[in-house]
Amino acid sequence: MTEYLIRRILQSVLVLFLISILTFLMIHAAPGGPTQIFLAPGLSPEAAKIQAHNLGLDRPVPVQYAIWLGNLMQGDLGHTFKNHIPVGDILWPTVKNTMVLMGAAWLFSLLIAVPWGIYNSTREYGLSDQTASFVSYIGFAMPTFWFGIILQEYFSLKLDWLPLSDMYTMGKEGNLGDLFMHLILPVSVLTIGFLAAYSKYARASMLEVLNQDYIRTARAKGLKERRVIFRHALRNALIPIITILGLDLPILVSGAALTERVFNWPGMGRLFVDMAVAREYSVLMSITLVVSVIVVLGNLLADILYAIVDPRVQLGSKGGSAT
Amino acid sequence: MRKVPKWFSTMSVIALVGVMIAGCSGNNGNNAETTNNKPANTATTNETTNTNTTNESTNDAATTPDPNTPVDGGTLTVGTFSDIVSVNPIYINDTSSGDIENLINARLYDLDRQGNLAVEPWSIAAELPQVSADGKTYTVKIKSTAKWNDGQPLTADDVVFTYNTIRNPDAGAPGISTVDKVEAINKIDETTIEFKLKQVYAPFQYSLYSSLVPSHILKDVPVKDLKTNAYGVDPTKTVTSGPWKFAEWKQGQYITLEKNPNYWGEKKPHIDKVIYKIYADQNTEVQALIKGDIQMSEAIPVTQIEGVKANDKLQVILEPGPQYEYVQFNFKDENFPDKYSPFKGQKTRQAIATALNRQGMVDNVLKGTGKLMNSPFMPGSWADPGDQAVNYPYDAEKAKALLAEDGWVAGKDGILVKDGHRFSFELQYNAGNSRREQVAAVIQQNLKDVGIEVTPKGIDFATWIDQNITPGKFPAILLSWSLNNPDPDAESIFSSKYYPPTGQNGGWYKNEAIDALWTKGQLTIDQAERAKVYQEIGKEISIDLPYVFLYQYGLPQVVDASKVKWAEEDAPESSLGYGYLYHAINWWVTE
Repeated sequence: MTEYLIRRILQSVLVLFLISILTFLMIHAAPGGPTQIFLAPGLSPEAAKIQAHNLGLDRPVPVQYAIWLGNLMQGDLGHTFKNHIPVGDILWPTVKNTMVLMGAAWLFSLLIAVPWGIYNSTREYGLSDQTASFVSYIGFAMPTFWFGIILQEYFSLKLDWLPLSDMYTMGKEGNLGDLFMHLILPVSVLTIGFLAAYSKYARASMLEVLNQDYIRTARAKGLKERRVIFRHALRNALIPIITILGLDLPILVSGAALTERVFNWPGMGRLFVDMAVAREYSVLMSITLVVSVIVVLGNLLADILYAIVDPRVQLGSKGGSAT
Repeated sequence: MRKVPKWFSTMSVIALVGVMIAGCSGNNGNNAETTNNKPANTATTNETTNTNTTNESTNDAATTPDPNTPVDGGTLTVGTFSDIVSVNPIYINDTSSGDIENLINARLYDLDRQGNLAVEPWSIAAELPQVSADGKTYTVKIKSTAKWNDGQPLTADDVVFTYNTIRNPDAGAPGISTVDKVEAINKIDETTIEFKLKQVYAPFQYSLYSSLVPSHILKDVPVKDLKTNAYGVDPTKTVTSGPWKFAEWKQGQYITLEKNPNYWGEKKPHIDKVIYKIYADQNTEVQALIKGDIQMSEAIPVTQIEGVKANDKLQVILEPGPQYEYVQFNFKDENFPDKYSPFKGQKTRQAIATALNRQGMVDNVLKGTGKLMNSPFMPGSWADPGDQAVNYPYDAEKAKALLAEDGWVAGKDGILVKDGHRFSFELQYNAGNSRREQVAAVIQQNLKDVGIEVTPKGIDFATWIDQNITPGKFPAILLSWSLNNPDPDAESIFSSKYYPPTGQNGGWYKNEAIDALWTKGQLTIDQAERAKVYQEIGKEISIDLPYVFLYQYGLPQVVDASKVKWAEEDAPESSLGYGYLYHAINWWVTE
């Protein structure tokens, strides 16, 4: 296990390194640059050159990359070009805000979706199952921003029960009750989306297990249905679900840009769009890096969890599974 | 080496730092690309548009003097769609930063509603500048009472320091071209400053419409490091001289301004706190207005006007503002796939102007928030040529006749042909700007009706500026100029002295008669005489048409009239840049 972990971590570092090079090249390949945004009418070409030079933007891209990487190794994410604000000051609050929103939505949907999906698998095509299918279709089909606007119109403007947008009321930053009120609407929108996928996964996974021979054997032995489900089936049914959850982890940081936009949530999705327009390379690189790290970690976590819940899987030096 | 945009040379005559707004949000009309100084001396006293005939009382509340005297205190929350960059006046280059900067800084001079230089109780200057007989020396006297918000006096040193910094190429100040005719700036005494120019240059008066930076805070910062200095970014390090001070900035979320306890002006601000809240989505911003989370928005999408009007407490101000949209032609052959610019014939350009249903665009796309333009000067301004500029009413038949006169004949596919070249071109605009998207579609249809094939193409803003606009590599573009500076001089856009990379004549237009007139306008100090020059330019340019001038348009400002109050003389002035905050120092809010 330890050997396996070390190998995976080394692989991950290599992957991150390659991702960073690719991202850097792609970002710099986009036409236009950060200078032209602040270079205004009236700034002479010479003055523009001086500015680009001061910012190190006239160096070859590989050199710029090396400098960026060197700074990163020292924990320095760099500064924005336009106003020289440390990238960390801008980035970390948005990462935190997105994780709060997505984490709440994710947990909430899991708590509903997994039990519901499992319940429906034991009563196929019952009322509950039909309802779940209907909700799923809605969740897949409905544009989130549209649903968000509808919720805002009704619950905030018409009934005045809930805040319209943002994370906190002005002046109440950090107040948990206030945060909770602000979370209700965006979490509802996101949950509809998640619910559809997760309840379907749980149901399908459980159904597959319930059709296995060993379940039939257990039932034939006269075990209570409850015991069959919880002792024999559930654990095996959770395996694919856990994998999917691990792979979905990046959603937590990348967030749902549209939902963030509609609810004016100060998160990372919104930041990325703004910074892409402004060609703020350092911020874009940092966002990419954060998301990449989470993706790699999510994959690793999924593999490890898989090994824990499924004893047949061994994280051996060959990495394969032995049955 | 990255190619940096070469906006204009130091030689250019622009008197204003403009802003380019890429307009990421769908419907926002606020996508002007600003450049330079331009006219905009709207003489109409801007009566706020009465938006709700069934509800006169609401409007009256905001537009007539309130019988109650103003009350002190309260918070004004304003919705905006983009974050600031820096509020250091030397580096202001976007409207959001400009908004904030306007409230936290006192300016040397202000503007009256007609766009003339003015001395207000809140201006730093004590009297209008005195211009010497030869027109080359401007003497400015400032008030001895002015102070920075750290209590330090504001003196002639600050004026000299600010202007010398802007002049220094190492500073990278966008406004460098506004002072490139300055030879020397001398401090005569603590309250008197003398600007000596290298030549007579009438637009210089508007270079004095500017905020100052504190020399006692910044004089020891090396000029090349000013841009990365915390001044203008960190509220605790940003010392200013206006009615409010920069108190807090939460990136991407909001900016808070508080009343300046050390404010020196005789008239104090009434409002305690001004908060700028950033909304990523304009629909959400409009909902916030309705809910009362914010009390004002400088611009809402035109598509939302009807919904907002339905709300009794919200007042919409619909006057067209200081910006105009245009179609620019390129005259350089190599910008076309077949190495032939189809726009060289004057009659061809006049035909295009005649073929476009400009009034239809104003009525349908702008929902009436615009007025037709026929020259680069603001309608109603002192430089406005009025009827002397040729108006081209929509007439497809006449357009066809003009095209035929210019030698265009219909080809096999119905598209016009001349000398073996099909009349087909790409019209570029910035992707994501829904107004331009719609207008481009109208242009495509209008020109198709007269046998010209147009291919509209939306391009990412930053890319477009870098690859097409700045180097002058495009067949035709749909774009706007914002005229934040009231001076009508626009030489760097139209004169053949200012081809890229020196200036912004990216269409490679040449008309020697008009070139000479721009120069004459700069050398004429007397405003009445100057006005005649610009009327002449307006007439000539409307005949020759380097652009088709489409319309001046407005950004619908919305105010919660139940909470935000002002006396009539302090109402917003849509015709000026930042005019939606006109005299905000005298406004008050009721809870």
